[in-house]
Amino acid sequence: MPPEPAAHAPPGEFARLGPEVARDLLYLGFQARSLESCVRELARSDVLDAALADFRLDPRSAVVARAMRSTTGGMGDLCHPGPLSPGPALAFGATPLEFLRHLAGKGTSPASAREGGLSWTDVRRGMIGWGSPRSGTATQVLAGAALAFRQRGEDRAALVVEGRAALESGAWHEGINLAGAVRAPLVVVLAPPEDGDRFGDADVEAVALSYGITSARLDTEPLEHHCGTAAAARRRAVAGEGPTLIELLPLDAGDRWAMHDAFAARAVATEDLSERDLDAIRRAAAAGVEHAVGRLEREPEPAARDALAPVCTGASPPPPWTRRDPPAPDTPAPDQPAEQPHAG
Amino acid sequence: MPAEAPAHVTRTRSGDPVTFLEAISEALWEEMERDERVFLLGEDIGAYGGAFKVTRGFLERFGPTRVIDTPISEGGFTGAAAGAAHMGLRPVVEMQFMDFISPAYDVLTNYIATSLYRGAGPMPLVVRGPVGGGNRGGPFHSQNVEMAFFHTPGLKIVYPSNPRDAKGLLKSAIRDDNPVIFEEHKGLYRAPHCREVLPAEDYVVPLGSARTALEGEDLTVVTYGLMVHRSLEAAAELARDGIRAEVIDLRTLLPLDEEAIADSLKKTGKLLIVHEDTRTGGIAGEIAIRMNEQAFEWLDGPILRVTAIDSPVPFSAELEDYFLPGVQDVVTAARYLVRY
Repeated sequence: MPPEPAAHAPPGEFARLGPEVARDLLYLGFQARSLESCVRELARSDVLDAALADFRLDPRSAVVARAMRSTTGGMGDLCHPGPLSPGPALAFGATPLEFLRHLAGKGTSPASAREGGLSWTDVRRGMIGWGSPRSGTATQVLAGAALAFRQRGEDRAALVVEGRAALESGAWHEGINLAGAVRAPLVVVLAPPEDGDRFGDADVEAVALSYGITSARLDTEPLEHHCGTAAAARRRAVAGEGPTLIELLPLDAGDRWAMHDAFAARAVATEDLSERDLDAIRRAAAAGVEHAVGRLEREPEPAARDALAPVCTGASPPPPWTRRDPPAPDTPAPDQPAEQPHAG
Repeated sequence: MPAEAPAHVTRTRSGDPVTFLEAISEALWEEMERDERVFLLGEDIGAYGGAFKVTRGFLERFGPTRVIDTPISEGGFTGAAAGAAHMGLRPVVEMQFMDFISPAYDVLTNYIATSLYRGAGPMPLVVRGPVGGGNRGGPFHSQNVEMAFFHTPGLKIVYPSNPRDAKGLLKSAIRDDNPVIFEEHKGLYRAPHCREVLPAEDYVVPLGSARTALEGEDLTVVTYGLMVHRSLEAAAELARDGIRAEVIDLRTLLPLDEEAIADSLKKTGKLLIVHEDTRTGGIAGEIAIRMNEQAFEWLDGPILRVTAIDSPVPFSAELEDYFLPGVQDVVTAARYLVRY
């Protein structure tokens, strides 16, 4: 995990990130940026839903998620990427190809094309997906997961990203109230409103105060600050000090990646990275996305009968009797038992 | 040092008979002793011991991390139970009255019930609580909620009629990897005639399996919960006239043991469905169409139903007694059907 910012230190003067975290942040930023433009392009060429033509990622999303402790063994932190997906999901090990398969509803998608939305669930990697980015349900669910961590005394926390509009849903307030009451190790990131969202006038700091929990606000400070703020929230959560609300302020749409560019420039200026290293990271991130785009059209569509997946363990719904096999004319419905006493 | 087990969860160990309510308490206690992943959430279940005292003494024994007094937010703590289930725990949610489950309808049907299908994994949790009328509880403390959830793929619904089944079914529900809604009729909780000595050993009653509460040849009465007792009373009265009713106790409504219903129907040729829930959209309609699909040729009369009337549960005794299906309603319908 990255170091935490010194209290009240001005932006840019926080303790330096370790080289592994710094390289990850650069890689994730380049990857997210590249994925963003590919999704837009695919939406404009009707490969993906046209609603994604204006798809925008928030560069802070993966940074905040990288401050958590992700593992692949099912014992790390937990993350609900919400409206900032795939940013946090990439930090938790999701790949661009998985994301594109999911968006395109391919048979190889992580949710087997049975769920849409921007995210999916993979508990072993610590991802909990949910269709609605602002219903508040995810905050309830992640609060319960965090409760499980606390109950077992584990060094784990849950990160939930919700759209800011969730503050206007009763479900969100029920979730955060419970999390606050039991001091669940939860970090809640409130994403800026999307176009068309109601913004509301809730004061996040006041909301946090009303639940007796901490709040923070992230704007365009250096990425180190964002990472450190999230790490501090995580530390407090795991220490039993309860949840933190982190409000992301809206970014200028045209200059969203400036923070990432500045971070990369600083890394080179301080000679933590050479230009060549930086370029290698950039090219590696882009190559992964290009590979995913190239693969997407070759990915199989789901088989229709995959709709008959189990709804309970071991129990799949039966196929409609009219579709089991091509029914021969005048044959009895397959639902009818064979030994009809008066049949015919 | 954990507290001693209170008397109401050790009667079986002492060889004493238990009430329906004590059977529920014993099941919860024993499952929590057996499996540390099992924990409880609900309103006033800790320090107060629950509105009906099902969990009295649990907080002292298992502590506040496994017996969690929640805020008054059924949606919130049911959603939290889902998160805990994702993390491998086995939460048991208590609705103080099942009438209050409606705020959790969203998370139950949209999130929890769809989890396995969406690829988000199994969802081992139980939502249990008191249901049913006859206690003068009025419209908000007397409802049966099964049909609000019956058509939701991914859920299981259990509704026992006696202590033995209640304990065995609740243990099965807790051990099941799927979300289970578990309904407990308040009229059975402390009913003296329901007290019985339960097996001393750990036992379960499998979900999805009906039982024959009474064998007969002249007609089949399919029912569940408190109405099993009303139907057995009716069967006793019918027997005095030489009518032998077979009473099938469904025990689990979802998945429905349609084979048991069809087998009985094929024996008797007549089918009467009795439920305390209201008429329109009640489970009788689903059973009737399934038997129409599977055993039409065996029917020697129309499929009939005896149910509550289509109204909210009224408060006053006079109104509620008229609202609820009674023994004489079952007798009347059965006589009509047998004569058909």
